[in-house]
Amino acid sequence: MDQPIWITFIVAFVILNVLLISMAYMTWFERKVLAAMQDRLGPTRTGWHGLGQPIADAVKLLGKEDLVPAGADKIVFRFAPVIVFVAALLSAAVIPFGGTIELFGQEVNLFITDLNVGALFILAVGAAGVYGIILGAWSSANRYSLLGGLRSAAQVISYEIVLGLSLVGIFILTGSLSLLDILERQAETIALGPLEIPNWFILSQPLAFILFIIAVVAETNRAPFDLPEAETELVAGFHTEYSGFRFSLYFLGEYINMIVASLFAATLFLGGPNGPGSDEYWGLGLLWLFLKALIFLFFYVWLRGTIPRFRFDQLMGIAWKVLLPLALANIIITAFIRLVANGEVF
Amino acid sequence: MPWGVIFFYLIATVSILSAIGVVAARNPVHSSIFLVLCFLNVAGIFVMLGAEFLAVIQVIVYTGAILVLVLFVLMLVNPDELPSFTDAQPLQRYLGLLLGAVLLLEVGAAIITRTALEGVGEATPENVAAVGGNVHAVGRVLFSDYLLAFEVISIVLTVGILGAIVLAAPERLGEKLATRRGTISLSHTRGTDAELPVGPRGETPIKTDPNRRPPRPEAPRRVIKVTDPDERTTIGGTRR
Repeated sequence: MDQPIWITFIVAFVILNVLLISMAYMTWFERKVLAAMQDRLGPTRTGWHGLGQPIADAVKLLGKEDLVPAGADKIVFRFAPVIVFVAALLSAAVIPFGGTIELFGQEVNLFITDLNVGALFILAVGAAGVYGIILGAWSSANRYSLLGGLRSAAQVISYEIVLGLSLVGIFILTGSLSLLDILERQAETIALGPLEIPNWFILSQPLAFILFIIAVVAETNRAPFDLPEAETELVAGFHTEYSGFRFSLYFLGEYINMIVASLFAATLFLGGPNGPGSDEYWGLGLLWLFLKALIFLFFYVWLRGTIPRFRFDQLMGIAWKVLLPLALANIIITAFIRLVANGEVF
Repeated sequence: MPWGVIFFYLIATVSILSAIGVVAARNPVHSSIFLVLCFLNVAGIFVMLGAEFLAVIQVIVYTGAILVLVLFVLMLVNPDELPSFTDAQPLQRYLGLLLGAVLLLEVGAAIITRTALEGVGEATPENVAAVGGNVHAVGRVLFSDYLLAFEVISIVLTVGILGAIVLAAPERLGEKLATRRGTISLSHTRGTDAELPVGPRGETPIKTDPNRRPPRPEAPRRVIKVTDPDERTTIGGTRR
């Protein structure tokens, strides 16, 4: 498990760059899938099937003028997008992309760090990322921005509770908050008659899975929960006043959050890199993880293409009156079953 | 000097400076940013001590709490009406200084008596590792030795939430809940949704009051004359 720190730095560097590139191609993927759903073609001009479009977009964004409104709180205005971006990247630090492998005669961990509170770490960093939104909104000195920021704060505080509580069932079943332990637990198989099925938590925690997916879409401010940037009523919400590179930091942060959330969901509920042949070849494990994450990323785009935005009061009502009681019920049921299975009651 | 010590002094310095920033900043939002920074650094010290669970809980609980604080500042505080630093009475100032010094002495005395007289406590790294990491250690202590205190705190917090609901809810909470359909609405003004008639589907919509006129603005708005398109924006920090 232990490796020299320079290998960790190399792994972190690779993961960082892969995240940034996959973020760029996530925008391409989203536009293509949305276009297919709406019977359009999507980007086609830049490169083969429009594959050069993300690069063209990035260059365009970098070349744009960096505007700061006259009434803005200048330091906070400049710093806020960085918080969103850094928080999004930081949460990728605990995602395991596989176990320990042998590469060029060196033992290499396919993860940056294994915190024993890994799952909570992602929640904590996500909570810190909201500051980028609310501070950016406040410092713009724009009413639309401020309204977007206030909505975002209310939404994230409400849905973070649901998100955290939906994970408790998994913690009860695993007995650990470390993502590696959670993966290890899911690598086991359950014999169901002649059938051997993997012990993925989507099977034993279906309710938690549904709650998690709903809450995570709300956490990442995506449709149908994209109230903070509802364009029909708030221009562009919290990033109305941002342009050029600072806007692109918000944009990067949102998409990296989506990717990390998908990886997180795949790790928690679908067994992460676990799949046929993943024990022998680590590359196959990476492929499985990628495909599993792609399911969730497609789901994000699917939601955006098909479901209209909620009204704000509906959004809060769902979180507090539907999802929260369900999450608590799930915890109680899971804990009870665990006690019965351990023979501590009856 | 080992890296651990260097990082500790770095984190400690930043957390103390940001704690000073909380009281020294003139703008309440800036104060709360400093407060977040301070708590994040304290979380860093927890991590260095091997208490990752406390660190993460510190971040989750306090960032959420300070977010609510920021919202209160944004909604309730008028930045033009903040009291100035210099208009405190001399008695207030000296009393504040005295109380601060007493608090500092108390904390110092607690640390000294703990480390010098009683030695190291029970939560040594070995003991914590023996029960299976600091999540297990905190959980065991919290739900065995301090179970009563834990439950009492839970009840107090529940009472607090109920109190907040009673204070914030309309006077006739029971009636409202009885007549209300669908969701609790944050977008309607208080009391309007209970009076909406609920008819069968296909009925004509409610007619608005024909005498109702939009309120007139009391004074004409100040018109900003702009001659240059870049006049109201700054570019790269410098105003043109």
